[in-house]
Amino acid sequence: MNETHWRVTFEIFRQKTGQPCHFDEYVMDVDPDEYVLDVVERIWAYNDRSLTFRHACHHSTCGACGMRVNSVEKLSCITPIREVARNGGKVRVEPLRNFPVLSDLVVDMGAFYLRLDDAKFSQVASLKDACLPFERKQQVREDGSYERLVDCLECGMCISACPVALTTPEYLGPGVLAAAQHAFHQSRDTSLLDLVDDQDGVWRCHSAYECTAVCPSNVDPGWRIMDLRKNILRHQISKIFSRRGQSR
Amino acid sequence: MYTSSKKPQEGTFLWLLKIIAGLLIIIILGIHFYVNHLVAPGGLLSYSNVLAYYQNPIIPIMEIIFLIFVVTHALLGLRSIVLDLNPSQAVLRWINIGFVLIGAIAVIYGTWLVFFVVAKGSGA
Amino acid sequence: MKNEPNSTNFLRWFDPRNRKLGTLAFILNRITALGLTLYLFMHLIVLGTLARGPEAYDSFIKLAKTPAILVGETLVIAAGIIHGLNGIRIALNSFGIGTRHQRLIFIGLMVVAAGCIAIFVKSMFFSH
Repeated sequence: MNETHWRVTFEIFRQKTGQPCHFDEYVMDVDPDEYVLDVVERIWAYNDRSLTFRHACHHSTCGACGMRVNSVEKLSCITPIREVARNGGKVRVEPLRNFPVLSDLVVDMGAFYLRLDDAKFSQVASLKDACLPFERKQQVREDGSYERLVDCLECGMCISACPVALTTPEYLGPGVLAAAQHAFHQSRDTSLLDLVDDQDGVWRCHSAYECTAVCPSNVDPGWRIMDLRKNILRHQISKIFSRRGQSR
Repeated sequence: MYTSSKKPQEGTFLWLLKIIAGLLIIIILGIHFYVNHLVAPGGLLSYSNVLAYYQNPIIPIMEIIFLIFVVTHALLGLRSIVLDLNPSQAVLRWINIGFVLIGAIAVIYGTWLVFFVVAKGSGA
Repeated sequence: MKNEPNSTNFLRWFDPRNRKLGTLAFILNRITALGLTLYLFMHLIVLGTLARGPEAYDSFIKLAKTPAILVGETLVIAAGIIHGLNGIRIALNSFGIGTRHQRLIFIGLMVVAAGCIAIFVKSMFFSH
């Protein structure tokens, strides 16, 4: 064994619909600079063709390969083995929390995607609006006509990491609230504030900021939830004053 | 539309009330500790000390306001934890009634106790 | 272990393994909240001794000076300080203030909390 050749045991979560879950162990020869997803794919290719997992782009753009690696949410395509294991050690790979398991590492994210639609999530924004407001704006053209994909990959890792999402399936969750904040920031559509000013909306957040910690893509859902609260408060106060103005 | 019907059990108003009550508790508790441990020498460690302390009219008023805000903050916080557990609307209705009752009883009982101590002190 | 959200998962709120500092703040806030609420109602019941005359109250105060109760009282004061200071962080963040520095604010406030708790412990146990 040398620095480019490690032996690592992969403990992979296994569960098929309706069956109890268990972990299967695979002893793998790996290069520590490979990514976790590369090894999971190799397990599927050479050890067990019944293993299911989601993946597509292999370069942190599609958000499909979110998993829990040693209990922490990781985009497995950009997580080097070196970061999560040592030579002769173990790596535990589990599906994302707070989503129903469909098969092994694949979870049902249907509800999350539908809620993103409700929050008017747009995959594309002008360069100015695609950034977090406190970031340095990238603006290639003065007229703002350039657009780019927004940062959120829809990977669901923020919801997996959220402690409140452990107990209530009704909570919109950090990813959806972040999408609503982003859409509100772009459109000033106050119906979005009404959507999230709800017991299952922004008020369920208890400031653990795990969403921001695991987000692989600079969305900062924790900041966005707090910004929504501020905007809801501002909106409610202005509503009171405009009602008074009308009644005069 | 995926999101289920609007559930207004926790909104801006209740959240703001919880925060304002929390802030007032911090302020009043600060005054409470200052008065009890620094102004009243040796603290309020005997019955007669307590009766004398309550003869200053600011004290009973402060204690009653403090009680109202503490009970409000505690029950709103507890209710928020209950909401994290995704209760059904029927269960939540009973919890709401229960919390309002507990809160009202605690405030009425505490206020009665304050007036009892004030009356006892002025009669003594 | 249930993978999907379920109210029976509530004990996992309090599991700090593989979590960041924000979860520690959340756990501390929740435990101190529950403890302080329990204390509040116990305190109200105990203060009822004031209505039962000087003997009842003074004998209660004597009991309150026993070491076990003093330790309990210290825990309540510590919980109050931690909950109050962390509450300031949550309130500020909710108004959009200091959200990006919540971690540093939490550390700073907890250092202040440790200092305040130390002062209380000193005055309660070592000032005689």
